[in-house]
Amino acid sequence: MTSARPIVIETRGLGKIFSIDRAPIIALQDISFTVQEGGFVSLVGPSGCGKSTLLQMLAGLVPSTAGQVLVDGLILREPAPDKISVMFQDATLLPWKRVAENIEFPLEIGGMNAADRRDRAAAMLSLVGLTEFAARYPHELSGGMRQRISIARALAPDPRILLMDEPFGALDEQTRIKMGHELLRIWSRTGKTIFFITHSLTEALFLSDVVLVMSHRPGKIVDVIVAGLPRPRTYDIIGSAEFGAARNRIWKLISQDDDTDASEGMASL
Amino acid sequence: MKPLIVLIQASVVVLLIGAWELCDRVGAFDPSILPAPSAVAVALWSLLHSTVFIDDASDTIVRVISAFVIGAPIALATGFLMGENITVGRSLSPVFNLVLAVPQSIFLPIFALVLGLGFTEKLIFGITHVFFVVAISAMAAVSEVPHGQVVLARSFGAGKFRIYRSIYLPAMAPQIMTGLRLGLIFDIVGILLAEMYASRSGLGVLLLRWGEAYDVDKLMAATVLISVATIFVNEIMRIWEGRVGRWRHALEDR
Repeated sequence: MTSARPIVIETRGLGKIFSIDRAPIIALQDISFTVQEGGFVSLVGPSGCGKSTLLQMLAGLVPSTAGQVLVDGLILREPAPDKISVMFQDATLLPWKRVAENIEFPLEIGGMNAADRRDRAAAMLSLVGLTEFAARYPHELSGGMRQRISIARALAPDPRILLMDEPFGALDEQTRIKMGHELLRIWSRTGKTIFFITHSLTEALFLSDVVLVMSHRPGKIVDVIVAGLPRPRTYDIIGSAEFGAARNRIWKLISQDDDTDASEGMASL
Repeated sequence: MKPLIVLIQASVVVLLIGAWELCDRVGAFDPSILPAPSAVAVALWSLLHSTVFIDDASDTIVRVISAFVIGAPIALATGFLMGENITVGRSLSPVFNLVLAVPQSIFLPIFALVLGLGFTEKLIFGITHVFFVVAISAMAAVSEVPHGQVVLARSFGAGKFRIYRSIYLPAMAPQIMTGLRLGLIFDIVGILLAEMYASRSGLGVLLLRWGEAYDVDKLMAATVLISVATIFVNEIMRIWEGRVGRWRHALEDR
């Protein structure tokens, strides 16, 4: 792990308090971490600990009530589509647009002309290996294909940072593993910085360099795990001793937190 | 398969009309109350060549279209506000639901009292018929807009106007089309009712007059004509509705 790479995302004392019916709820408290250029960082934690809120704050979609998000050293106050793309669990493809048009959508918002948009969409489709589905509608594709289209769409504006909110959470185990490999392939080809939220400790360790572990009520970063597993990653790595040790460590951190949520976490292992 | 079904459907209609004609010919129906289809056809032909009928028909059409053109945009705007703004929605939707429960026809005498029997009374009565159903459907359409897609568009840097155009409009279009179609049918109902209640011109007046004068051939002919015209309008809008919402049906079929 070389630490010479520049820092692209930094949070400083980030906090979020929701006031619902005058009773303030501390969703996130004192979140401070950094992500290096080209890094793959995962965030794990029990459900409802504020992972998604944190991601939306990193995307500039939700304002923080304390602290700051810095991207390239600049305070982020609103979405920065030239630098950051977001991908959600449900693919949120527009059902009335064809696959290629969906990939073009962020480019259309960015004001790119139609010819360039088409070329870019074609290139992205070939990157995710779905060129022959360009003229299909999202409902004609499987869940895994829709997520690949969603990745293609997120990459279309050529952002440097990809924020992914449980992108494979709704997929079956087999598709999920395939999508993990697919994502690593795309990551190594494009060199993007990826911030990845997941329920699955295995998925987090398998994909990333760094795993941030969150607790809930209030949502805090309780540990930063750098497992130092070799790349390229193969499925065999999951059976290795160092993988198991790292996973156990995260598991202990999370399960201390809350019994009900811990059992939920177990199910997604 | 499909042409066969159409053929069967057509023959059912032809058979019914034939049976009706036969009943009149053999004297089973009283032609002064239920005239034969052939007699109705003759009356229909002469109606289409009568300037009086055409004048009355165009009065009705102008009233229907005016009420729609004025009522629908106001209703869409109101419904949209009700859907988008929680305060507006919460304060107006109970009122709308109460109003919808009351048969609007009972207000007709009050409308006539306040506004007289001219164009304005019929126009406003027509507008009230368009308004509520279109506004309610526009409000429901706003709630169909998927929040995730709005957030996604924002993350790509979309502003409010772009989100309305690229997410709201296509997501809302199918339901709005349904609302507009129903609004137009209610509009026709309202205008004809107002004309039948009290009016100096219009198809409603003719229907009432011919009914009271036992001019049954003409009454039947006009009834058939209005039915065919409204079915035609409804079908055209339904086809359009289907086009706009094609992606939606595909989702439901999955």
